[in-house]
Amino acid sequence: MNDPHILSAFDRDLEGIQALIMKMGGLVEVAISDATKALETRDVELAEQVRKNDAAIDALEEQVNIEAARVIAIRAPAASDLRTILTVMKLAGNLERVGDYAKNLGKRTSALVQMPVIEGAPGALRRMGRQVENMLHDALDAFVQGDVELAIDVRDRDEEVDQMYNALFREFLTFMMEDPRNISACMHLHFIAKNIERMGDHATSIAEQVIYNVTGEIPDEERPKGDNTSYTFETME
Amino acid sequence: MKDIQLENRAVTDEKTKIAANNVNVYYGDTRAIKDVNIDIKSRTVTAFIGPSGCGKSTFLRCLNRMNDTIDSCRVEGRILLDNEDIYDTKVDPVQLRAKVGMVFQKPNPFPKSIYDNVAYGPRIHGLASKKADLDGIVEDSLRKAALWDEVKDRLQAPGTGLSGGQQQRLCIARAIATSPEVLLMDEPCSALDPIATAQVEELIDGLRTNFSVVIVTHSMQQAARVSQQTAFFHLGNLVELGDTDHVFTNPTDPRTESYITGRIG
Ligand SMILES: Nc1ncnc2c1ncn2[C@@H]1O[C@H](COP(=O)(O)OP(=O)(O)O)[C@@H](O)[C@H]1O
Ligand SMILES: [Mg+2]
Repeated sequence: MNDPHILSAFDRDLEGIQALIMKMGGLVEVAISDATKALETRDVELAEQVRKNDAAIDALEEQVNIEAARVIAIRAPAASDLRTILTVMKLAGNLERVGDYAKNLGKRTSALVQMPVIEGAPGALRRMGRQVENMLHDALDAFVQGDVELAIDVRDRDEEVDQMYNALFREFLTFMMEDPRNISACMHLHFIAKNIERMGDHATSIAEQVIYNVTGEIPDEERPKGDNTSYTFETME
Repeated sequence: MKDIQLENRAVTDEKTKIAANNVNVYYGDTRAIKDVNIDIKSRTVTAFIGPSGCGKSTFLRCLNRMNDTIDSCRVEGRILLDNEDIYDTKVDPVQLRAKVGMVFQKPNPFPKSIYDNVAYGPRIHGLASKKADLDGIVEDSLRKAALWDEVKDRLQAPGTGLSGGQQQRLCIARAIATSPEVLLMDEPCSALDPIATAQVEELIDGLRTNFSVVIVTHSMQQAARVSQQTAFFHLGNLVELGDTDHVFTNPTDPRTESYITGRIG
């Protein structure tokens, strides 16, 4: 539906909200990339910066919600317009959560620099972060382009993130069993891995919302799930 | 766990009240309605929406043969009310209109008392023999039209002295006084202010426990608020008929989408 509205102010409203979402997306991508970079390079200053920047993401979410409420009240959107408004509100919520995880990552980095280095883990987490960042970027592209194919692709890629998480989880277990002095650092790193994995879930949720926005149908097909750490716990006993 | 549901807006009665098959309507040589097929369900509010001139009123008037009164107008096809052809030669259009009542855009009370406006139909159809019965019908109809409390102390006052919204509810009371099974409404709120509109909408929602209601409306929001089924007409065609919730969240036809989102189709 790319025809303009008869009331052109309606188009300007929708474009304005979409611009807010893209701005939010940009900030969140930077937050992921900076947070994982700070982790790998043990850069406390950058980690602190990520924590501070989260306020801007929160403010944008609020702005999206205010604008969306205004459009609902004034324009009474229907059909694809209604779905777009529901979608931007959902997307803003997802992006805000991802921002929170990045902020949490910054906090943990500040703590981790006091602890022994766990060889290889920060690099692996940064790669995982990059994967999630790309998913998020593509999910937002899919939103702007109304590209269902790309959204489905993003959704499928979440399995790789889950697998990265599983691999790291096992690695942390090994490190902790080898030397109990690694436990504190590994616990922090494990939370970070889990949080990045959750970021992937939010990117997936955005992709699914994009599919709904375009087609009007909520994708119900079970998406591939690669997280089998609960199984790992069972086999350990 | 107990199911928590939003107010049930779905169609409650799947039974077909009116079935229209291959209906074509001509004004002289011009075809205003093109091969329309539609089932109107009982105890359901069906909204007709579409741009001006797309044929909503023309089609609505077919359902109680109001088009018979327009000389140039010719109706082809079959329209069944409870499986009986309303265009059959045996059918008396006046009797039909008692069963299929109509409310128009502009409130048009007769220049008579409030009481006589409502009593008019039951009188000519001989629905009440005793004064007490007629009083009962008048009160009941005014109550159903949510007007009783406002007029019960001045039933002999002229109907034309009421406010616009009250006049429209009086016309609804008049239409339901003959115990119709179907109520046709052609833009019943277009001359009313928002409060009177809300009152009429509330009334329509209540009416569907007893009647099938078909409402033509220019207001998409009104269609979305009051109906369970929505039919979208365009250039004399019935483009889409479906559950209102579906039509307003995810219409099937791109023409419907363009219209309800206010785009240039
Ligand atoms: N009495 C009439 N004589 C000739 N043409 C008519 C008459 N009534 C309606 N029309 C034409 O039929 C078409 C459908 O009109 P109408 O049913 O009033 O549309 P709507 O109610 O959707 O606005 C229009 O093109 C209109 O000009
Ligand atoms: Mg009309």
